[in-house]
Amino acid sequence: MSEQVWAYSGSGEVQCELMSAALELAEKSGRSAVAVELGRQREEVVAQSRLVVKGAGDDPLPEVAAEALTRAARSRHPSTILVGATRNGREVASRVAARLGWPCLSEASKLSIDGAQLQANRTVFAGKVVATVSCGLPAVVTIKPAFYPKSTASGKEVDEFDAGELTGVVKLLSRRKKEAGAVDLRKAKAIVSAGRGVKRKEDLPMLQSLAEELGGALGCSRPLSSDLGWLPEECHIGLTGVTVKPDLYVAVGISGQLQHIAGMKDSKVVVAVNTDKDAPIFQASDYGIVADLYQVVPAIKKALESRR
Amino acid sequence: MRIAVCVKHAIDETELKTGPGGRPVLEGAACKVSVFDKNAVEEALRMRSAQGGEVVAFTIGSEDARKSLKEALAMGADRGVLVVGAQASLDTGRTARTIAAAVKKEGAFDVVLCSEGSSDTYSGQVPPMLAEALGTAYVGYARKIQLEGGKAKVERLLEDSVEEVEAPMPVVVSVVSEINEPRYPTLIQIMQASKKPVQEIPESQLAVDPGSSPVAVLGMSVQTSSRKRVIIEGGPEDAAAKLIQELEKEGVLR
Ligand SMILES: Cc1cc2nc3c(=O)[nH]c(=O)nc-3n(C[C@H](O)[C@H](O)[C@H](O)COP(=O)(O)OP(=O)(O)OC[C@H]3O[C@@H](n4cnc5c(N)ncnc54)[C@H](O)[C@@H]3O)c2cc1C
Ligand SMILES: Nc1ncnc2c1ncn2[C@@H]1O[C@H](COP(=O)(O)O)[C@@H](O)[C@H]1O
Repeated sequence: MSEQVWAYSGSGEVQCELMSAALELAEKSGRSAVAVELGRQREEVVAQSRLVVKGAGDDPLPEVAAEALTRAARSRHPSTILVGATRNGREVASRVAARLGWPCLSEASKLSIDGAQLQANRTVFAGKVVATVSCGLPAVVTIKPAFYPKSTASGKEVDEFDAGELTGVVKLLSRRKKEAGAVDLRKAKAIVSAGRGVKRKEDLPMLQSLAEELGGALGCSRPLSSDLGWLPEECHIGLTGVTVKPDLYVAVGISGQLQHIAGMKDSKVVVAVNTDKDAPIFQASDYGIVADLYQVVPAIKKALESRR
Repeated sequence: MRIAVCVKHAIDETELKTGPGGRPVLEGAACKVSVFDKNAVEEALRMRSAQGGEVVAFTIGSEDARKSLKEALAMGADRGVLVVGAQASLDTGRTARTIAAAVKKEGAFDVVLCSEGSSDTYSGQVPPMLAEALGTAYVGYARKIQLEGGKAKVERLLEDSVEEVEAPMPVVVSVVSEINEPRYPTLIQIMQASKKPVQEIPESQLAVDPGSSPVAVLGMSVQTSSRKRVIIEGGPEDAAAKLIQELEKEGVLR
């Protein structure tokens, strides 16, 4: 049996993305890619080959998920375990690495294996710098959601592993799903993004309607969702939020700190509206308008309407 | 209540310079307290005022990291522990085991606070690895913490859900910035911070396990952006019309 590259995420969507990374790595290094699932096989996961780990239940807390993976790895000896860098995923990866005594690379891309060394790129310093890092195998690696496209390579191979009884010390008292946002920013072709330059929550519909006029969606900088709570947490774009790559990104009243740029720098065309001509966002934009958003946004909307 | 709080002396990404070959100049680079660690310090101080006890701040870094400890002390931490080793690295396992060794040396803690991720390398791995190394419970991404009867009840902020969990103490908790608004120290507090005790421990004294395979950095390069950076002049109407023309040419309008 060839050595395996495992991919695990509690999210089915991220799991499919990880399979792309796992297949790429496996092909380059003569290994096989396996989707590891806890509890049961999930329909939304597309994979050629899977390992279903029994004993942890369907949706375990990260502590229990980590122990299930650790036991599976001790028995099956994969060469690499890829884990989706969601909030829970980061905990799972860290714990598995600590328990197995393996090194852990985080937020990796461009993975390659050279002999017994694993190499990858990751961004540091809020996206300003790309570092090339390496460690020995076996290793745990976390991968940022939405970085890789979803894999579509499917197959029927299913293996099972019984991890035995698993318990943790952390007890779940309640779990409340957040209200699902109306739109998935990652799929939007155009995004209008609101920053602190917007004075009141009541002004957001103005930006929302510009977004609609462009056939897109409304996003924001972190302070608007986290500090002010004007928009749901999952609307914020950047290092700690979603990563987006729309055709058109319009940053309105956003200063353009590196942590924000990290989430939108791969957009095709970037437009910025800001009163401060020295705002860093203009360095990261194709087209800039140095003016008050309260004058420019309605003007852009009107120009768009008259175009139809 | 004995509360430990981990503060990282992080490279200030806004001040980072580019050197020959597009490499960042890390030697002597300006540093600051990792931004969200101030939320961890704030939470530690609130726990102390509710429960009494002591807040000890820990940092692993170069001699310069003393500055970040001072900031935690100015905010109100009682004392600091500085483990002097190499500048903070990308080997999160090694960092976590080093903090664990320093924390253990200081005795038993009821709560160890960290932030969800450091502002320079943002991996979110040190806190859970620290809990593993200490052999304690761990709860990540806390936006509310209640301590009662030897247990911590924590609200966790996840991408698509909010969870309430209960963990036995001692416990390591990582906080998100939503948890509180960090206080600004007064001038007097900043001056008094210099008188608070800081214990310095050379990393070599802690005999930390280097791990089976260290994470090495092979190279770094500063990212360059190739945006057009065209500033569109004119009044709002003119500028808007010109912008639409450009976007039309780019083919990004529907
Ligand atoms: C570890 C870490 C992670 C982070 N992650 C993220 C992240 O994922 N996403 C994110 O966005 N941030 C993130 N941040 C925060 C980030 O550093 C910035 O603080 C934030 O992006 C600033 O938001 P802003 O541009 O909306 O606000 P500000 O920086 O306050 O900028 C407001 C801008 O609006 C302009 N303005 C004011 N009035 C007007 C007007 N009438 N018309 C036009 N322009 C106007 C001003 O000139 C200014 O440039 C993170 C920070 C840390 C430390
Ligand atoms: N060198 C360090 N010294 C002290 N605390 C640290 C260090 N590195 C990480 N931490 C703590 O761990 C948190 C998460 O860091 P990271 O895993 O690097 O994202 C930080 O916010 C700190 O609370």
